[in-house]
Amino acid sequence: MLPLRRGRTVSPPPAALAAFLFFLSASPLHALQEHGPTDSLVLHQGAHLLFLAAMGLLVLRLRQRGLVRHPGWRKIQLAALFFVLWNAAAFFAHLLDEQWGIVATVRLAPAWVRIEAGAFGEILAPLYYLARLDHLLCVPAMAFLYAGLRDLRRRPEAAFPGEEEP
Amino acid sequence: MTVPFWPLFAVDVGGSLAMIALSFLCLGTATHLRRADPESLLRIYLFWVCVGLAGFSLSRAAGHIARQGLLLAGREDLWAALRPYSSAVNTLLFVALAAVTLFFERVWKATERIARDRLALRRARAELLEVNRELERLAGDRARALAFSERQYRRIFEVARDPILVLDPEGTIREINPAGAKLLGGGEEAADRLRGAPLVRFLARPGAWREIGAAIERRGFVQNVELELRRADGVLLPVLASAVRDRESGGEGAAVHLIARDIEERRRLQEQMAQADRLASIGQLSAGVAHEINNPLGVILGYTQLLLRGEAPGSERHRDLKTIEKHVRHCKAIVEDLLKFARRSEPKQEKVDIHRTIEEVLHFFGQNAAGGRIRLESDFDRRIPEVVVDEKKIKQVLLNLLMNARHAVGGEGTIRVVTRWLEEEGKLAVAVEDDGCGIEDKDLPHIFDPFFTTKPTGEGTGLGLSVSYGIVRRHGGEIRVESRPGKGSVFTVVLPAAGAPPEEET
Repeated sequence: MLPLRRGRTVSPPPAALAAFLFFLSASPLHALQEHGPTDSLVLHQGAHLLFLAAMGLLVLRLRQRGLVRHPGWRKIQLAALFFVLWNAAAFFAHLLDEQWGIVATVRLAPAWVRIEAGAFGEILAPLYYLARLDHLLCVPAMAFLYAGLRDLRRRPEAAFPGEEEP
Repeated sequence: MTVPFWPLFAVDVGGSLAMIALSFLCLGTATHLRRADPESLLRIYLFWVCVGLAGFSLSRAAGHIARQGLLLAGREDLWAALRPYSSAVNTLLFVALAAVTLFFERVWKATERIARDRLALRRARAELLEVNRELERLAGDRARALAFSERQYRRIFEVARDPILVLDPEGTIREINPAGAKLLGGGEEAADRLRGAPLVRFLARPGAWREIGAAIERRGFVQNVELELRRADGVLLPVLASAVRDRESGGEGAAVHLIARDIEERRRLQEQMAQADRLASIGQLSAGVAHEINNPLGVILGYTQLLLRGEAPGSERHRDLKTIEKHVRHCKAIVEDLLKFARRSEPKQEKVDIHRTIEEVLHFFGQNAAGGRIRLESDFDRRIPEVVVDEKKIKQVLLNLLMNARHAVGGEGTIRVVTRWLEEEGKLAVAVEDDGCGIEDKDLPHIFDPFFTTKPTGEGTGLGLSVSYGIVRRHGGEIRVESRPGKGSVFTVVLPAAGAPPEEET
């Protein structure tokens, strides 16, 4: 009993008492979620999909606005397409080897690698090999982006709103 | 499936290096694009996309190169420790890059709107500039027109021959034109001195301004009010004044604009016309009277001469008859003069060298009439051509004027005869000047009246100037008189060189 005023006492309600006892009882900590090694992989894959979607949307917008008539934006559109392909390839490779774990690589000698893909090895192994050569997609993407920006710089007329040719 | 390792390695490392190089090339180009128009939202956007790409490329390439290096070095454990961080950074940059790219549409729209607004602003500015130019042109035209108008009105004010005054309601002079300054101050330069002076100081009758002020207060204007202004030399000048009230006089409060017109000349002309009318009436009357008297006088003279034949010279009756004859002759001379004054006959038209005529008169006058102490001077304008006049009558006029001059100077003085050629009018002027006693103002209007004389009784008939007036008028000319009592007189005969017009009558 807790003294409130002189000569008078009050008792705590049963529900409050029960809550107090629950928090004092021994149980696993629920405040923070645990993260396994797949969390970062899921996040990374999600980022690839987001990047892929963003690039796809950019291609769509450029075409909707008719900007691809300008060589600069046309090359940037190509860059975005290559980034879409690159994201798809990277996503595919991560899916096979890390997320699903159905493809593994083994170094045989300094110059050789064996790709193990289980039952679907004949199809998945060449695809996986090609997907691991993803720089063949992102480097052209960057090259097209550079070429596009250079064209925008050289011919800004009709490339930016308000800079139409007189 | 066994595949060669080197293509994977070469593409991974070479591609990573190429990505770094290309991403920084992109960043450089985007930087140039942004610098070309730092206010373009789209260019700023592209710059930040390239920044993200460069960061991503750098992070990813570094990870890939490190992986290949560590795997080749057999340090898979080290790569296993490094890998989560590299992957996390790559993921973050992915997400950021994707998020930024998703904003392309919004950035484009915003850029379009900014461009539209900028274009609208540019057009509005161009229109404003055009409107401003038009306004400036209109203002310039207006200012020039205003300046021209102001200059024009100022010139009217300055060159007006009549005095123009701007007064405040109390009658203080605010502005006065050169003609006014000349009249009231003696010269155009007196304008500054006259500003601030009360007009009443220059009025012969100070109460006149009160009357004008009251009339202006009542009606807003006065018109053709006769005033007498006191000139700088003290002489009173009759003027016809018109004044109007101006309630908004350039911010200086109400003002009165007054224009005064000199009517002295008009008055003189009116007096001359009245005198001419009077003389014409007198002439007609005189002619009638003279004609009626002349016949009886002729009869009296005839019978007197008949009676004289019957009387012995030296007898008392002979002397009485002689006295009668003498007075009758005198009466006849007067009557003849009266007839000369009033006669309507045209003068003879003969070409005369006026200077030779004047010299003959002067010679005769010098020999017979001028005393020894009277100096005779002449000043001839030799440009005067031969003139068409009745020489005898003009000689009579000149002799009359010279005789009057001799009387005016008394025993001693100077008489000058001056000729001038008035080329524009085709007239000549012969002035007889003396420095004698002059003519009283009260006598001036009567000097051409028949029988008006200031000479003692018996010394003159009072017909000399009347006769001269009649002769000159019949020549189509006029006689002008200027006289200042005590200073002398100038009688100027103005004659047309070509003779009297046929229709001219006295």
